[in-house]
This record gives sequence, structure tokens and C-alpha cells, in this order.
Amino acid sequence: MSTVRLAAITKHYGATVAVQEFDLDIADGELVTLLGPSGCGKTTTLRMVAGLIEPTSGRIHFDAEDVTFLPPRKRNIGFVFQTPALFPHLTVADNIGFGLSVKGQKKAAIAARVEEMLAMVGLEGYGARLPAQMSGGQQQRVALARVLATDPRVLLFDEPLSALDRNLRDTLKYSILDLQRRTGKTAIYVTHDQSEAFAISDRIVVMNAGRAEQIGTQTDIYLNPRTPFVAEFIGANNGLPGTVTAVEGSGDAARTIVSASGMTVQARPRAGVRVGDAVHVYLRPENIDVLEGGDGAGYENVVEGRVERVIFEGPTAQLRVDVGGRELRVDIAGGQRLTLLEGRGTVRLGFNEVTLIPATVDIVAGSVA
Amino acid sequence: MSASTVSAPSRAAPAPSRAASRRFSSRRVLDLLSHAYIWLCLLVFVMPFTALLVYSFTGPGGTYAVENFQYVLGSFGENLWWSFRIAGLTLVIDLAIALPAAYAIVRYPLPGKRLLYSAITLPLYVPGAVIGISLVLTYNFTYHLTTSVWGLVLAMAVGTFPLMLTPIVVALKDLPLVFEEASECLGATRWQTFRKIVLPLIGPGVSAGLMLAFIIVFNEYLVTLFVHPTGITTAPLRVFNLIRTAGLAPTTAALAVTMQLISFAAVLLFFRVFGTRYLRGTYLI
Repeated sequence: MSTVRLAAITKHYGATVAVQEFDLDIADGELVTLLGPSGCGKTTTLRMVAGLIEPTSGRIHFDAEDVTFLPPRKRNIGFVFQTPALFPHLTVADNIGFGLSVKGQKKAAIAARVEEMLAMVGLEGYGARLPAQMSGGQQQRVALARVLATDPRVLLFDEPLSALDRNLRDTLKYSILDLQRRTGKTAIYVTHDQSEAFAISDRIVVMNAGRAEQIGTQTDIYLNPRTPFVAEFIGANNGLPGTVTAVEGSGDAARTIVSASGMTVQARPRAGVRVGDAVHVYLRPENIDVLEGGDGAGYENVVEGRVERVIFEGPTAQLRVDVGGRELRVDIAGGQRLTLLEGRGTVRLGFNEVTLIPATVDIVAGSVA
Repeated sequence: MSASTVSAPSRAAPAPSRAASRRFSSRRVLDLLSHAYIWLCLLVFVMPFTALLVYSFTGPGGTYAVENFQYVLGSFGENLWWSFRIAGLTLVIDLAIALPAAYAIVRYPLPGKRLLYSAITLPLYVPGAVIGISLVLTYNFTYHLTTSVWGLVLAMAVGTFPLMLTPIVVALKDLPLVFEEASECLGATRWQTFRKIVLPLIGPGVSAGLMLAFIIVFNEYLVTLFVHPTGITTAPLRVFNLIRTAGLAPTTAALAVTMQLISFAAVLLFFRVFGTRYLRGTYLI
């Protein structure tokens, strides 16, 4: 129950920069996810918040307290690791009570708290078991109970579900969210799994190469990616290099005209994008529709292409459409419409949602220059 | 369902059974051979000890004499007691040095770690007589320890320290760092983490070291021969002395058998306590 502030946190390993000038403010009770590919510095950042790694420079505050150089045991944190990391020689109850017993609490008080925690994670009656006698999902729930028992200021999760199978991941991520909401703890959650991040976060920090590329809500980073990395890493996207040829209209009707790969594309204007600028044009596969005859009314952009491949995925199907020598991915519902497309050489595609990102975007601190 | 399909299996049946019986007999021969091999090994390796055991019960004129063993508690008792005391003291010293040393070697980035480890484990590769001479020289010129029991204990500690260190190093290396990190994040001090988490989890390594060191110290006579203080005669030294002066007597054999039994008991105890029960429920099994 604490705010967390990271100010210009940097970590060097020799000449390698793991985390670069990382700033983040987390409100009390907020759940923020650090999302990024492996090696992007998200775990290093989390471990610096925990005190397991000392930053090369920068400051970490919990509320007004500077904890930058405090050892983990003095930070009052709850760290959930990738593996449950339950002490194998201690029973479930002793594992949950460990944090209290090392602080010298009385046995009766510890036992009561352990019972309370077991009930909280839905494992009443499992106290006498050894960790090895429980399933992976149960073990990770015990690990949750163990960190919650000490009533930590901040909860830190380091890909806690990555070692579990898919179904378990889906249920356990909501258990984690539920526990975090019920206890009102401030939490930082590290993952490389977008669906996990989207399901539980208040805000998401998209990290790449030791930097925060964008900080925002799910809709922010999905609908308004600030950098090419975010646009390509989050969900699927078609990226085309282009040049702004004109800006037309004004107000809501204002449109930026971009010439990209032989196509002329209309997009809503983006701040800082002027005529003559090089831009990245992003079209989400699910925002492109296959036109069934008609003149494409209601679409600002209509292009023609040749279907190269159809990849049936069950609920959806991916089309690979060659448009002017460049392949576009188009996602459509996987049902009956798919059969209509079979054997058809060319299709007309219509789309309205277009994202422009300046080619000269400055990704430091996730801001656009 | 025609007749031919019904009769087909019955015609085919005798062929596999002949093949099976051939296989069966060849397997039987192999079985017998492997059993014979095991018994031969047992005979070769255990025979000398059996001979000693039989001899230790031999009375005057080839009779049966349990009395030989009364010396074990009588005049040899003192020798066994010295062996126990020296082994005990050595183990305490070994453990006190090996635990922090292993922790430093495994968990901290020491420069020249491999060289240091090789140097520390040197006594493992050096013959006992060489260690003995080195110690006599060292003690004479510097420490003047030859007249006290500590001279002998330290000699034993030097010789067996690597035996204690190595299993602990291996156990620590196998222990994932995450347990220590989890403990620290839960508020435990380094000492609490070591005592409550690390030590129990490397317990099998520690006990393996204790067992190895005990057996070596308890039975060591060569180094003892060089550095034992006057008035202190350990059990193995007594056996050596008796055989040199009085030849092979059944009473000496009785002492030797007793020493063997004690060592054997140490090994059995180790496997009994740490072989299965301790490891169950840990990540090791």
C-alpha cells in the first residue's frame, strides 16, 4: 500500500546496458505490467525494485522513502518468482508463515495468519503438506499466500505463470488480479505474454532494449501506438513505409494523405506529421475488410490485391494478399465467408483505421519528438 | 466368420511358443551368469574381511573365542576412544571452515576461484606419507604442536578438509539461488536464510562430507604415525603397532573388526538417515 516511483533507473552490466533511464510512477493500488520481449530489461527493472539488483544510477521511492540501496528484507515487498520457489523442506503452513517467523512473531499469531492466507487462496486444509505433494498451480497459489502473509507494501510478479500450462494460466491470472484488487496492493507484473498483460493491467509499460517505449492503458497502446516497435509488438500489424503527400480538410474531416508502396492512403492526422515527412503506416489485419461487390461505400481506402494464401485458424482465417507487390495480412471470420474466397484471384480490400507513426520518432521515455 | 480365419491363429500358435522357449532358455543362462558374476565379486571383495572376522573369533589351539573382543572394551578401549575424540574434533573444525568456504566459492565471484579450489583440495591427491613429512617439518619449525592433541587434529583437518568441502560445494551449486532470494524478500537476514533455508537444503551434501571425513579420520594411521603426540595412540595406530611387534594375533583382529563395524555403521547410518527420507519432498527427488 504504497506508491512506487522509479526515477531515471539505469543498469549497466559492463558495456551492456540492461535498463536505460527508466521512469515510472505507480499509484497506490495500481497494477502496472512491464511487457516486452525477452532481454528487454523488464525483469532487471523488477529485480531493482525488489532490491535483488542494485541500479547503476537512478532512484527508487516507495511513497516518500528512498529505498534505492535498501536490501530486499528491509523493503517489505512480496516477490512472486517464475517458479513457486517454495522451500521444499518446509510444509505449506511453514512456507506461508516464514516471513512472519523470521520477524519473530508469536506462533499463535502466525498460525492464525497462515489459516487466513490459506483460505484466501482457496487451499484450506493443505497446511500440513509438503510443496512436492502439490500441483504446480497450487504451489504458485501457496507462493502468493506466502508473500501476502507479510502484508507487503508492493507486490512484484516475475512472469509467475510462465511455468504453468495454458488453462491454468488463464484461471490463475484472474486469481492474481482478484487478490491484488481485494488486498489493494500496489503491484508490478512482468510478462512477455500480451493477453496476460491485457487481461489484468491498469496500465502497461511496453519495454524494448532497456527502455520504456510507451506507457498507457490497453486501448492506448493498441489503438495509438507511439513507436513502430509498439505497433509491431502488440497484436498483429501491417507496416508500410510511406511519405506524407498532402493534408486535406480541417477539424474532424481533416485527413492526411500518405503515399505508401504504390497505395494512396487516407489517415486521421497525427500531431507533428507534416507534408513531406517519412512515416510508418500501420494497418491492423482485423481492420481490413474484404469487399463483396459494391463500390466500397463507407470505406475511406479501397485497394485491390491478389490472394496469395489462406490460413484457416478456426474462429478466424488469415489471408495473405499481394497489394502492389507488398503482402498484407487480412484477418476475417473463419466461417462461411472463407469458402466464398476460395478460387477467387483478386479481392478488393477496404479499411478506415490507419495509424501513422513518424519515421523519426524519438523513443526515449516513450515520447514522440 | 469362415473356418479358415478361425483356424489361422491355432496354426500360427506353436511357432511363437518355440521361439519364446528358445529366448527363455538363453535368458536363463544369462541370468545365471550375471548372478554368478555378482557372487564372484562379493567373494573377491568381501573374502579378506570374512577371513579377518573368522580369525578374530579364533582362540588358542583353533578353538572358538569370544573373549578376544573383551580387549576391545578393555585395553583397546582407550585407543578407540582417542579415535572417536580426534574424529569428532576434526569434523567440527572441518565443518566450521568448509561451510563458509563453500558458500564463498559458489555464491561469490572470487578471482582465481578454480585455482583456489584446486589448491584447497590438494591433500586429496597427495600421498599420506608426503602429508606426514610436510606436517612434521612444519610443526617442528613453526607451530610446535607436536606435543599436543591439536597437532594431530589439525593434521587430520588438513587431510580431510577437501572431503568435507567438495560435497558441500556440489550441493550448493545444485541449490537454485531463488530459494535464498525468496527468503530475503520475505524479510529474512542473511544468517536466517543460511540457517533456515540453505543449511537444511544442502544437508545431504554436508552429511556426505561428515561421513567421508569421519571414516577417513577414524581409520587414518599413516599421517598419525608421523605426527601423533606421545601418549596418544589411536585405534588404527594400535593395530599397526601390535602387528609390527607381536605379529598377527586374534585379539588384534578383533580390534580391526570392531573398527570395520564402526565405519560400516557410519555408512549405514548415512544412507538410513539421508538416503531417502530426508530427500523426499525436496526438489532433489
